[in-house]
Amino acid sequence: MRRVLVAVLALLPLAAGAVLAGLGRAGRLPADRWFLSALPGDWALAVGAAVSLVAVVGVGVAALRDRTWRHRLRARGAQAAQDRRLLLSRLDHELKNPLTAMRAATANVAAGADPAQAAAVGTIEEQVLRLSRLTTDLRKIADIESARLDRRPVDLAELVEEMVDVARDLPGADERELVLDLPRAPWPLPPVPGDADLLSLAVANLLDNALKYTPPGGRVEVRAREAAGAVVLEVADTGRGIAAEELPQVWEEMYRSPSARSLPGSGLGLPLVRAVVERHGGRVQADSRVGHGTLFRLVLPV
Amino acid sequence: MTSVPTVLLVDDETAITDNLAPFLQRAGFGVVVAGDGDQALARIADTAPDLVVLDVLMPGRDGRSVLRAVRHGGGTVPIILLTQVGESVERAMALEEGADDYLNKPFDPHELVARIRAVLRRGGAAAGPALAAAHRLRSGPLVLDRTTQRVFRDDVELVLTPRATALLAYLMTHPGEVVSRERLLEQVWGWTFHSSTRTVDTRVAELRRAVEAGAGEPFVETVPGEGYRFARPVEAG
Repeated sequence: MRRVLVAVLALLPLAAGAVLAGLGRAGRLPADRWFLSALPGDWALAVGAAVSLVAVVGVGVAALRDRTWRHRLRARGAQAAQDRRLLLSRLDHELKNPLTAMRAATANVAAGADPAQAAAVGTIEEQVLRLSRLTTDLRKIADIESARLDRRPVDLAELVEEMVDVARDLPGADERELVLDLPRAPWPLPPVPGDADLLSLAVANLLDNALKYTPPGGRVEVRAREAAGAVVLEVADTGRGIAAEELPQVWEEMYRSPSARSLPGSGLGLPLVRAVVERHGGRVQADSRVGHGTLFRLVLPV
Repeated sequence: MTSVPTVLLVDDETAITDNLAPFLQRAGFGVVVAGDGDQALARIADTAPDLVVLDVLMPGRDGRSVLRAVRHGGGTVPIILLTQVGESVERAMALEEGADDYLNKPFDPHELVARIRAVLRRGGAAAGPALAAAHRLRSGPLVLDRTTQRVFRDDVELVLTPRATALLAYLMTHPGEVVSRERLLEQVWGWTFHSSTRTVDTRVAELRRAVEAGAGEPFVETVPGEGYRFARPVEAG
């Protein structure tokens, strides 16, 4: 829309010139010849054309600059993401040996008889295990970003139905309303080329999240539809919601909202979902209002 | 096995060997430690261990190079790799090059003991060419060609997804062993997350439908509460 407006504005002087020239030819303008013995209408046309030319060149240069900047910005963003991943993989790498040694060490002392000592060793064991899981999960996300996909046509409707069934068995799921809405008419969802196991993982994570952050009595809706060469899958909840300024960060590894820290979680569920969806050439979106709920949307190309 | 089996533990991190060696000893193994790849080759030659636990990433000669040197020299000592990289490509390569099993760091030391026992039970050297390195696996009428990733039953090719084929390959190289869903996920899929173990059940069901249709005695058994087991004997070739 903006582009059309700019083009119209740029060509307006030319059009005005042409109109004046037309009026001159029709004899509606004074017929005395001006400087260089041209008619006033022709002057108007020439000036209009010149102004339009300058405007068009100006718009072109601006668009080109705009594009370059957007390009640079995107490259910078990609570089930053790449750097973050590199840092995480190095961190993961450097943590592995110490954690392996600590697990072996605690396994050696676990047999102690003193209850206070046994409790201390138990705590160390648990916490080392927690750290181990964290590094493993981090690595798995990196794996998904680089692993070979077992790509074949996936019936997303069937997959979502199955994951919703699994979610209904989760603790506390029966206290929340879980609604599934899949299109049947005029036709069902088209198959999505992808890795069914990874896609189930993504859907399961979204469902887990929605149920976790929605209080008893709340509602979780799962719906899918076909739109512009893609399948759009939405998981919406009436949970606590996410503040607007936190929304972009929920897709980042290990980000945990200050308001969600009371609930268990690693901050790796949504990054995993994003990794899976982007690996399929799709994209993820989140919409939320604090106190009302959150909508997660996956767009998967068909 | 009448005497205490000897395990050669190879890792350049002394913090790991110092703690893992006594743990393995208490689990009933004789332990020899090597701090780098060259030492590992020397210890394999002079102590003839029953099994080698080999770290992949070491300065100088790394674990993969030790593995290659041993296998090229005709050595059949079972080797468990301690990998740093969980990537499926690395994993496939490790098995192709003749590792008997592998564990991702950081691992549970009890899990290492379980794997050592399982590999030793499989027989290693005595059973001829290890299943892990075999190009063809056969169990009665069922044949898996690992080079072409094709599966046949009574010489008829079965249609399986690549993942189901990989799953079958893993189960067939660990016959009789109960494999947990978590471990299958880690080994075949390359990822483990809570809430994802049902994925394993779906693929095992697919595998069974394809492989066992009217086959009588099952190939893959469910062990309630534990996991799955390839129930029939498997041979290489």
